[in-house]
Formats: sequence, structure tokens, C-alpha cells
Amino acid sequence: MDQDDIDDQKRKFLTAATTIVGAAGVGLAAVPFVRSLEPDASIAAASSATVDISHIAPGQQKVVKWQDKPVFIVNRTPEMLASLDQVTPKLLDPDNKHPQQPPYCNNVHRSRKPQWFVMVGVCTHLCCSPAFKPDKGSVKPGWLGGYHCPCHGSFYDLSGRVFKDVPAPLNMAVPEYDFVDNDSKIKITSLFPKTKLC
Amino acid sequence: MRIAALVVLSFSALLYAAAGTAAEDDGVKLLKPHFEFNSETLLRGAKLFASRCLGCHNLKYLRYNRVADDLGMTKDEVEWMLMTPRGAEYNKGMISNLDTDDAANWFGTAPPDLTLEARYRGRDWIYTYLKSFYLDPDQPLGWNNHLFPKVAMPNILAPLSGARDAQGNILEKGSMTPQQYDQAVADLTAWLQYASDPSILQRKKLGPWVIGFLVIFSLLAYLLKRAYWRDIH
Amino acid sequence: MNGIFKWINDRFPFREMAREHLTEYYAPKNFNIWYIFGSLALVVLAIQIVSGIFLLIHYQPNDKSAFDSIQTIMYDVNWGWLLRYAHTTGASMFFIVIYLHMLRGLMYGSFKAPRELLWMIGFAIYLVLMAEAYLGYVLPYGDMSYWGAKVITSIIEAIPFVGDWLTSLVRGGFGIGTETLNRFMAYHVVLVPLILIALVVAHVLALHQVGSNNPDGIEIKAHRGPDGRPLDGIPFHPYYTVKDVFGMGVFLVLFCAVMFYAPTFNSLFIEHANYTPANPLKTPPDITPAWYLSPFYAMLRSVPDKLGGIVVLAVAVVLPFFLPWLDRNPVKSIRYRPVYFAMVVVLGIAVIILGWIGMEPATPALLLPGRICLGLYLLFFLSLPVVSRIEPTRNVPERVTS
Repeated sequence: MDQDDIDDQKRKFLTAATTIVGAAGVGLAAVPFVRSLEPDASIAAASSATVDISHIAPGQQKVVKWQDKPVFIVNRTPEMLASLDQVTPKLLDPDNKHPQQPPYCNNVHRSRKPQWFVMVGVCTHLCCSPAFKPDKGSVKPGWLGGYHCPCHGSFYDLSGRVFKDVPAPLNMAVPEYDFVDNDSKIKITSLFPKTKLC
Repeated sequence: MRIAALVVLSFSALLYAAAGTAAEDDGVKLLKPHFEFNSETLLRGAKLFASRCLGCHNLKYLRYNRVADDLGMTKDEVEWMLMTPRGAEYNKGMISNLDTDDAANWFGTAPPDLTLEARYRGRDWIYTYLKSFYLDPDQPLGWNNHLFPKVAMPNILAPLSGARDAQGNILEKGSMTPQQYDQAVADLTAWLQYASDPSILQRKKLGPWVIGFLVIFSLLAYLLKRAYWRDIH
Repeated sequence: MNGIFKWINDRFPFREMAREHLTEYYAPKNFNIWYIFGSLALVVLAIQIVSGIFLLIHYQPNDKSAFDSIQTIMYDVNWGWLLRYAHTTGASMFFIVIYLHMLRGLMYGSFKAPRELLWMIGFAIYLVLMAEAYLGYVLPYGDMSYWGAKVITSIIEAIPFVGDWLTSLVRGGFGIGTETLNRFMAYHVVLVPLILIALVVAHVLALHQVGSNNPDGIEIKAHRGPDGRPLDGIPFHPYYTVKDVFGMGVFLVLFCAVMFYAPTFNSLFIEHANYTPANPLKTPPDITPAWYLSPFYAMLRSVPDKLGGIVVLAVAVVLPFFLPWLDRNPVKSIRYRPVYFAMVVVLGIAVIILGWIGMEPATPALLLPGRICLGLYLLFFLSLPVVSRIEPTRNVPERVTS
């Protein structure tokens, strides 16, 4: 090989090296710009909703908007709570195998306190908002109370757990929430990271 | 050529010198705080701020959860050490409970938000200000300040610093020795410097990497340039 | 792959453009460091546009929320501080680069025939850039933003007959409020950048039409080889593309050093007085313009009369346009013009002193030095027609040196 060939090789190598390092630099530099488009800390701060639950009568549901989604808050009666164990054989995932709720709601009543039920009212099939049907026998014979989605007919119990043989694949999601102000209010803060809404 | 370069360099030197950080303010010499800029200093300053200043002054742009991340604290630690005002929320800014109308009535002017104060006044100004209070019976609140004459703010740190007269004579001792007080005020100053630009922590961490990368790139680019310019005579 | 390239090249002049402006555009082979600033200006323009777009996503042009939106960027937006500091560092770097670029033009006579139009377009870019910087500075709506806007827009009031009406057009209202921020944002983000980009394209095309000057100030096209190519010229690509990439790397090191370690640059790049929201009721004790406008501000303050000051300022700003015709000497470079070299040095020092004066509070002691430097500035241009005709010059070589 003569000098020209060596020079040429050197040029090719250095061009490649500089281009690769340069491209890596551009890629790394792009990260802050792209990430700056993510919702910022002020959005996150505004993202919680605090709901006064003192006016919800037993057996009644209140719907509030949280992060542009409907959240159902139900003041469950002892009767409603009793139905939860009775429907178990009809449910697809009665034991909450899928993490559709925060750990402290991983129980039959899927809530911090049995009486107060908080759930994101979004059907896990195709995102419609299911209707609250608490009355026995109201939707079909043997109905003990729960939710019925008007779009494609999925059924859920009074803990938002999905029935077998319906289009929806998962229990409806329970968000992260706290009781505040001497338990007179519920503050909904975020979704448990692993939950899927729809 | 070299003369031109000299002209350019003197330009920058002159401008830099003429700019911002004054060595004195209206004839009062500004003192320099001495502190290590790390989480321990900032935490001490934050705690002092939360206990003595947050009663009247806001840091409205600085969120508690951000402070937790930057200082390596847990949510609980921030809650019991810093979230002193009633109704403080973890993901919101540090807001005092003082009603601004009441404050304007009591002090003559509402205590300003201090988030950007370290940038606005300068770090040394804040340090000097907190060390410049003296007893003055002619003032409504009994205190005056060498750096900010007739300031409406009372000497809130008097229990720590003690009381001096206008000439600097100690009239009453505080709970801290002068060295301890200087350290406490330096911590507070560091905290306010951080509050005025929290990115300083990230910048110091990232800076060497970014510049290091660019130096490597420039080196490669130089070798590439040399490989081609061999042809040119 | 080659088929695709051919298909495109048959329908778009990529290959011709690459030849005309890169691989067969011949530039003098003796460029020194003073020749890096043109391409660096392009780099800074790109940085400003990209950082500007991302800042615009979060900015609010409303007198109640503008200042807060900047703090949201600094405190809440992921990497927002980087966007903001990139933009402020870029603004000052733009002027540093441009001033050095202009100084090169002065030193080597790059404004002389056949490059007169190139020089004028360049100077127009400089003026447009000052407008762009001024408009941008108002947007954060800090105290200095407000009062700087107030003071400069009130200069327009001094224009006879139409002054008041024009000022109301610029401000959109009585003071500097939401209506002002909205229109300044439209100008700063869309109107002026478009003008700037058009001028930059024109600047490069005008340069390529006549070819670049060089430190010896001799025309390389005067000596061509048998193939028609200038003997002292080398193809821009790969030689200067490769050199400019290296120059960019070094520049980015300096840029990032400032951005990461000294973003306010001792209150020069981001003034401390702007760290408090606009207060229309109280003027800050010392209003100073940004450092890059400071020499002109000092000139304005040197003249005791309001309208007189504006006239002198206008003359000072417009005079450099005519440099190609004020300078009558055919020799271009300071290397061969010792008298002109001394004049350029004096001009440089006068401008630097004016810049310093402009940033100091207006004291009577500074009036005389300011006036002397203003006089020297004007003298440079006004004496050139005479001096350039009689000054002794050294022998200019035929071919480039160094």
C-alpha cells in the first residue's frame, strides 16, 4: 500500500469515527428537548382531585372528573358488600391477580375501607363509562348489583371486578387515593403504575 | 493579529468586570459567605428557612417534592422537617400562611417572595444583609439594617445572632457564637442560592460529561481535519 | 440506491447545488481563525431556533403570567433550565460571533469591491439581529424587560408629527402590557426570524457569487490554473467543511462551559435586575441595555438633546453601510495598510470603551470620555475618504501568504 492508500483509509476511518461520535452527540442532545415535552411538574401538581364525600348517601354513587376521566365513588351498604362474596364464581379475576389496583386495595372490597369504593369508571374493553346498576334483578335475573357497560355489554360487580364471558378482559382500575380532612374527603392522586385502563 | 486578539480579550475582561456582582452596594462593603455547596449545607439552610422565614416569605416556585429529589430526602422527611405551613402540599411550592393584606398592614409592605432573591440581589448581598441588622429605637420595629436602611423586616434571627448597635457593639448575646451564626447565615444563603436556580446541582453534575464529550469530539474532528489538510501547502 | 439518487437529481438540482456551493466552490487556502465566525453564526442561529421553538411551547405572552411561565420553564419543565440557558447563552454568543465576524471584515477589507452588497446584506443582518434580541428580551417581562421596552419605544415618540402614533402602534396600548407581549412574540418568533433566514441565504449566495476574501486581501481568481481553477483556492468541501466541523466542536465546548458553569455570566448574559417581575410603577435605579446594545446606548446618552441623540444614533448605525464607498484605497488588508490598521485599532478601543460606559450609571464624569469615543467612532468613517486616498501602503503580494 502506498501513502495515498494509507491516507485514504485514515480519512475514511476518521470520517466514520467523527460521524458516529457526532451522531451520538446529536442523539444525546435530543433527549432533553424531547423530555421537555412531557407534562411538567405543575401539571402533575394539579393532577389530584379532592372530593367531599359527606353528602353521598348509603347506596349512592358520585361521579367526579379526575385527569379528564370519570371516577366513581360509592357509599356501599352492608348488603352491597355481602354480594361481593356471592358473585365470586361468575368473575374472571376475583382474586385481583392482575394489578388493577394499588396494593392497599388488593382485597375483596378493592378499597381502603369496605364502605367507600373508589374506582376509575372506564370499561377495560374499549373505554366507555359503564352504568351503575346497584339494584338486585335490575339488569338480568340473578343480578346482585354492579356495573353494566352500554357499549358492548360487559358486566362488573360492586367492586368493579369483571364477569366471565364478556368482552372486557380486566377488572376496572382503582386509583391511588387517600382519606383527608378527618375522613370527610377523598383525594385521588394517581394511577397505580401497573394498571391498564382500557 | 495579536493586537486584534488582545483588543478582543480586553473587551471581555472589561465587560465582565463592569458587570453584575458588585463588591459593594451603596458604599456598604459586601461580605462573602464561606460554604461547601452540598446537600448537608442545603438541608441545614432549608431547615433554618422553614423554621424562621417560611412564616412570612414564600418560595413559591420551589416545590417540596423537588427539594426532596435534589437533597436526597424522603417524602416523610420533607413533611416533618420542611412543610411547616398549614395546608402545605408535597407537590406544590413553599407558600407561607401569612396573609399578604395583613402583612402590608402590619409591616407597611408585604414580605416579598424569595425564590429568585439570590439572583436578584446577589448571593453576597443576602449574606451581608442578614449580618447587618442593628438596634435602632427610631424604627417602628426597633431594628434597622446597614445594607437596607429602614427595612420593614424585623431581625427575625436576633435570638441566634444577639443584638448589636449601629457601631457594631454587642448589646445582648444570642444563642449562637459569631462563628456559628456566620455558618448558619452562610447555610441560609446557600439554600437561597439553590432556590434561585435548582438546576445548579444538575449542571455541576452534567457539566464535566458534556464538555468531556465535546472535547473528544473536537479532537476527532481535528484529526479528521489534519488528515485532509495534509494535501494543502 | 443509485437509481433513487438519479431519480431525485433529475427532478431537483441537488447535485448541481452541491457542486456549485461545496465541491467546486473554491475558497482561498489561507483562511485563519478569523474566518470561522461565519459558519459559527449559522450554528448559533440553529441553536436559537431549536431552543426557541421549545421555549415557545411553554411561554405565555400575558402580563400576568409571562414571568411565571419563565419560572415554570426553569423549575417545572423537564430540562427546562437547559432550554432557557441555551437560548440566553446563544443570544450573547450570537453577538460575540457577529462582532468578531464584522471585525474580520473590517480588518481584511472584505467590504470592498466586488463585495459591497455582501457587506450591506451582512450589516442588515446585524441590525435585524439587534431588533430580534431586543424583542426577545421583553418577553420574559422582568423589570428590565419592561423598562428597557419602555425606554426604547419612547425613542420613537421623538419622531416629529407621527411619533406618538407610531409608538402606540409598536406598544399596542399605553404601556408595555399583554398587547405588547403578544405582538412582540409574533415579531420575535415569526416575522424577524423569517427576515433573518432570507437575509442569511442572500448573504451566502452573494458571497458565493464573488468568492471569499482572505487575510492578504488579494483576489484568488486573478491567478487560475490551466483547468480554470484559482491556484490559491481549494474546494470548500471537503477542506472547509472538515475545518468548520472542528471549529464548531471547539465553539460548543466554550458554549457549554458558559451554559453549565456561568449561565448568567456575572449578570452580563442574564441581568440580575430581570429576576424580578415587571413593576410599571417604579423604575430600577440603573437601567442598562444588554451588553451588545451598550455602545449605541452610550452614544445616545452622550448627546444632550433627545431628538439630536436619535439623529446621531441613526447616523452612527447607518454610516458603516457606506464603508465600501468611504474607503477609497484599493488595498484591502490591514497587513499592507499600517495607517488603516491603526484606525481600526482606535475604532475598536473606542467601541469597547463606549460599551463599558453604556453599562455604567449615567454620571457627568463619563460624559466627556463618551463624547470623545463617539467622536472617534464617527471620525473613523468620515475621515476614511480622505485618509484612504493618501495613506502609504506596503507592497501587496501576487499570491497568498501563510
